[in-house]
Amino acid sequence: MLNMDNNSAGRPAAVLVFVSAILMVLGLGLVMPNRAQAKVKVVATLADLGWIAEQVGGDDVEVEYLCKGSRDPHVLPAKPSLARKMKKADLLIYNGLELEIGWLPLLVNAARNPRIRPGQQGELDCSRALGEGGILEVPMGEVDRAQGDIHPLGNPHFLLDPRNGIAVGHLIAERLAILDPEAADRYLQRADLMADRIQERMKDWEAMVDGMAIRKLIVYHQQWEYLAHWLELEIVGVIENRPGISPAPRHVESLVELGRRQGPVVVVAATWDHIDAAARVAEKTGSSLAVLPGSTFALEEASGYLELFEVICEKLESASAETPKAGS
Amino acid sequence: MPIPARTLFFLMILSGLPVLACAQSSTLTGASRSMNPAISVNGLIRGQASRDNPTGDLNGFKIDGVEIQFTSMVDPFWRANFNIGMHPAHTHEGEEEAHAEGMVVHVEEGYIDGQALPGGLGLRVGKFALPFGKHAPLHMHQFPFADAPLVIASFLSDHVFSDTGAMGTVTVPVVPWYADVRVYGVTGEAAPFDAHNKNLVGGGRLTNFWDLTDDATLELSGSYLHGPDARHPGENKNVDMYGADLTWKWISSTRTRGPAMNLTVEALWPDYEEGEGDPWGWYGLAQYRFHRNWWLGLGLGQADSGLNHHEELPGHEDHDHGLEGDLREYKVNLTFAPSEFSALRAEMVYYQDKVTMEDDLRFIVQANFTIGSHPAHLY
Repeated sequence: MLNMDNNSAGRPAAVLVFVSAILMVLGLGLVMPNRAQAKVKVVATLADLGWIAEQVGGDDVEVEYLCKGSRDPHVLPAKPSLARKMKKADLLIYNGLELEIGWLPLLVNAARNPRIRPGQQGELDCSRALGEGGILEVPMGEVDRAQGDIHPLGNPHFLLDPRNGIAVGHLIAERLAILDPEAADRYLQRADLMADRIQERMKDWEAMVDGMAIRKLIVYHQQWEYLAHWLELEIVGVIENRPGISPAPRHVESLVELGRRQGPVVVVAATWDHIDAAARVAEKTGSSLAVLPGSTFALEEASGYLELFEVICEKLESASAETPKAGS
Repeated sequence: MPIPARTLFFLMILSGLPVLACAQSSTLTGASRSMNPAISVNGLIRGQASRDNPTGDLNGFKIDGVEIQFTSMVDPFWRANFNIGMHPAHTHEGEEEAHAEGMVVHVEEGYIDGQALPGGLGLRVGKFALPFGKHAPLHMHQFPFADAPLVIASFLSDHVFSDTGAMGTVTVPVVPWYADVRVYGVTGEAAPFDAHNKNLVGGGRLTNFWDLTDDATLELSGSYLHGPDARHPGENKNVDMYGADLTWKWISSTRTRGPAMNLTVEALWPDYEEGEGDPWGWYGLAQYRFHRNWWLGLGLGQADSGLNHHEELPGHEDHDHGLEGDLREYKVNLTFAPSEFSALRAEMVYYQDKVTMEDDLRFIVQANFTIGSHPAHLY
C-alpha cells in the first residue's frame, strides 16, 4: 500500500521496498562479471550439436546441452532448470526448422539472456548450414494441423546425415570466431579436423550399408530421410503418417499390405518411439525391426556423433541380414 | 488535492517506457502482414448434469470459455502478450436466476515483458496472472479438472487470477538449485480485493525447483499477498493471503508421450484483518498418463470458512461474502488427448458442505481445443 496517510498501509510498502532491495542485490550477482571464466559458454539444444560444439570449441569453450540423447527432441519438457543453464550462455546453438518449437521459445524467454535472443550474435540456427536445396521434405501446398505436427519449413532431422554435421561444424566455428576472435584460427582448424575425422569414417559406414541386401525401409517417424538419402536407402512407408499423432489401426494395416507388396523391408524406429507399433508392422510383414539411436547418447554405445553412425549402420546391416529374403 | 498512490505508481512506470505504438509502414500501402502477432484461439465446450439441480442453469451444454491470444515482439526491448477471454455471464450457485445472459468479454491478460534488462532481471507491466500458487495463474484451458479447486475459486478466482500493475522477477544466483523470486504491485481489481480502495495490492512468490532425476522434478514454493478486503468495501480493511504448494512430476525421459505422473498439493490461508473464524483450504491432485493419449485424474480438496456455521455475515447482506461453511470436493476424470491441440474429458465431481450436509453430484464432459499459433506452456 503506497498511501502513506494510512498507518496500517505502510507495512506492505516497506515489505515491497525490502524485497525490491533483495532483488537488486541478487541481480547484481548476475551482473558482476566472473573474471575467472574466460571460456565461451555454449548451450546446445541437442546432444549431437553439443558434441559438435565440443569438437570445434575444444578448450576454448564450455558446452552444455539441454535435450539428453535418450529424449525425443520434439517434446522436451521446458523445465526452469534448463532456462537456468541458458542464463549465462554466450552462444545458443539450436537445430532449427522448428524442431524445438515446443519448448525452446519458452526457455529463451525464461532465461532472460539478451545475448541469445533472436538476431543476436549469440543465437545460431544450425539449419542455415544446409544451404539451398539441402533441406528435404519441404511441404508443398497447403499446410495445416490436419497433417499432424508437420514442420512447415522442411524435415528438421538433418543431423542424421554426417555431411550436414560437417557443415554445422563449420558454421559453429565461424560464429565462435566472431564471438572470440583471439581463438578464431583454432576454431576453424578444429572444424576442419572434425570434418576430416567424419569423412574418414563415412567410407566405412557407407561400405557397411552397401552390403545390405534389403534396402527398403518402413520407418516409424519421418526422421530417417536424411540418413536414407545419404546411404541411398529407400523409405517406402511411414507408420506415424501424421507426425506426432498415433497411427490409426487402418493405416497400420495398409502399411502391412504395402510392406508385403514391396517385398522384404527393414522396419526402423528410434529408441523413444512407440516400439510396439513398429514391432507389429515388422511381425506382420515378416521383416526385422531395427531400433536405432536417434541422437548421440541415445544408447550407451552411441557415445559420440561418430559412434552414433557406427551403431546405426551396424544395426541396419544386422536387421537386413536377419530379414528373410523374398521366397525364402 | 493529493494524487492517489495508484496514479503516481503508473505515471512512474509509464514515464520510463518507450513509445510502443509506432505505426508499421513496411509496404507502400502499409498493409504488410509480415509483422502480425502470433494468434491463437482456445475453446472450451462443456456439458454438465447436476444430480441436485436437474433443471437449473448448471445443466446442459454451453461454451465454457473462449480465449484469443496475441503474442509478438514489440521492438528489441519489449515482448507483448494479450489474452482476451469470453465466458458465460457469471452466476452464483444457489441463486434463483442468473445475473445476466450470454457471454462477457474481458482482458484476462495484457502485458509487456522487458527484454533487455541487465542481470537477467525480468519486468512485466500490464494486466497479468498473479503468481500465487500453482493453480490460480492458469487459464481455463490449462485446468487439470473442468473447474478450479474450491479453495482457489473461493479465496482467489474461478478464472485466471489476474490484475493490473507491474512485476519484477529475478533468478536467485547463489543456490545450487533453480529458485526465483517474483514481486508485484497491482491495483486490486481481482475478486478478493476491494476495487474501490485506492491502495495497491502487493505480493510475491518464491519458487524452488529441483531436478531429482532425468525423469523426476520437485517444486516447493510459497506465495504471499496483501490488499484491501473485498468483504469490507470502503472500510479500509485488509487481507493477507499465504500459500504453499508442492509439485512432484515424473515424465518418462525415454519414451515419446510415454508414462507420466503429476502430484500437486497446495494450501492457502487468508488472514482477514476483520473477520470471524480461521479460514483455510487446500487441494491435492494426481494425474497419470497411462497410455500415449490417455490421462487419469484424481482430485480432492477443502475450502473451510472456519465459521462452523452457514449464515450471512452481519451488515453485509447486499454483498458477495465469498466462502461460508466447510466445502469438500472429490473429483475423478478421464482425458483423451490425441494431440497437443485437443482433448476430450469426462469427469465426475462430488461436492459436500460439511456444515449443512448439502451435497451435489455432477457429471461433466468437456472438449478443449486450440487453433493457431499458441505459445507453449510453462512446465
